[in-house]
Amino acid sequence: MTNYVQFVDTAKSFGPVNVVRKTSLGLDRNSLVVFLGPSGCGKTTLMRMVGGLDEPSSGSILLGGEKVVRPDRRRGMVFQSYSSFPWLTVEKNIAFGMRYRKDLDAAQKAERIGHYLDLFGLADFAGSYPNRISGGMRQRVAIARTLAAGSDVLLMDEPFGALDALTRERLQVELRQIQIREEKTVIFVTHDVEEAVFLADRIILFSRRPASVVADIDVAAELGPDRPLEIRETQKFFELRNKVLHLIRNETGVVV
Amino acid sequence: MVEFAVSVAAAVLVVALWELAARAGIIAPQFLPSPSRVVVALWTMLTEQNLIWHVAVSTARVWIAFLLAAIMAIPIGIMMSSYRIVGAALEPIIDFIRYLPVPALVPLSIIWFGVGEETKIFLLWLGTFFQLVLLVADDMRRVPQEFVEVARTVGANSRQVMTDVALRWMGPTLLDNLRITLGWCWTYLIIAEIVAADSGIGYVIWTARRFVKTPEVMAGVVVIGLIGLVTDQLLRLLHRRLFRYL
Repeated sequence: MTNYVQFVDTAKSFGPVNVVRKTSLGLDRNSLVVFLGPSGCGKTTLMRMVGGLDEPSSGSILLGGEKVVRPDRRRGMVFQSYSSFPWLTVEKNIAFGMRYRKDLDAAQKAERIGHYLDLFGLADFAGSYPNRISGGMRQRVAIARTLAAGSDVLLMDEPFGALDALTRERLQVELRQIQIREEKTVIFVTHDVEEAVFLADRIILFSRRPASVVADIDVAAELGPDRPLEIRETQKFFELRNKVLHLIRNETGVVV
Repeated sequence: MVEFAVSVAAAVLVVALWELAARAGIIAPQFLPSPSRVVVALWTMLTEQNLIWHVAVSTARVWIAFLLAAIMAIPIGIMMSSYRIVGAALEPIIDFIRYLPVPALVPLSIIWFGVGEETKIFLLWLGTFFQLVLLVADDMRRVPQEFVEVARTVGANSRQVMTDVALRWMGPTLLDNLRITLGWCWTYLIIAEIVAADSGIGYVIWTARRFVKTPEVMAGVVVIGLIGLVTDQLLRLLHRRLFRYL
């Protein structure tokens, strides 16, 4: 579905500070869209508005044609900080995503928990508390919990920003695979160009605050849907990465 | 185990130095009697002066006041940080009262409540509630926004965010704050029990002071300290049991 998530003349100010300029944009269903831009440019604010966690000052956001007015489980957030609940085990953290779902019975919930434990390689740690597992695993738990909730749209705010380079790479590969397999729409916020090019079907490049769209890059057309780790070493990847870097320098005036 | 041994050794060392200082005549016994004389006085108080009864009365007063303070402070503290308007209305008043010395309010409390149990409970409550309510409000403010937002995006309503996230997150610090303020509550005991009291450890200490029975005064103080130590350790144990995930 094209334009599954739609920004319709969406703008946002916090008091006198204009954070997001009037923006109109459509994002396709089951695609991974990266919001790329300098730190503090307003890209997170745009994403939070999709989540219903912030309200646009003017304009609106539509999901499947329906106006977003408050948070609900169709749009799940994954934060940079580890947001796994420390008092719940890995298994119970994932179960928390379905805690308020009345459409699933206990057996269905248990089945989904098992599915996501396996999908994210967490089965051996089901009974562990978050402080006993690595940062990468904690982020897997957070993503699994969001998926278990039944979120159709994943809103990811620099979720791998606090991880070491190797874990980060591994999770990027996993995220691509899971997004395709589970048919989810992902909005991924980052200021890391390489991460953006590797993950994205499409990159929306934002200016410095107040955010406005300065470029819309169709990465899928250049790199295709499959993203093995080795793609990072290809000429195509390099060229695209450099192109995005130049765009950032030219369009935003920021040296990355 | 090593830490426990060090704790015991440090306590033994302090008592031994105290005993030595007292026996060497460095400090006059009417000011600081030796630990052995305090132990003798303690035994006399236990066997001849019904000390257990006085301890029970004081413990009951402290716990009643403390529980009343906790029952009131927890919801009010949560409301203060959840609703800015409530915080704005209450925080200056609470800050004002919090800095008032409890002894200064003894005459007022006698005028308000007379010289019965109510005054004693009120004074103990006064020393605890206003401290605890601000600690609870601060704890509530520290609940990570991400946790709240995660809960909201998986469909939790405000009540569920409170019960399933905020209170769960606050649990460990809340119990710590309760443990600390219970200690403060005990420190107001003497003030509470000098107001026309005829029972309680405070009364025992105050009466002994009048007759310059310093060993009995010290024994009373030691009893309060021991009760504090045991209570604190029990609450720490409860903390470890309840919050195994820390």
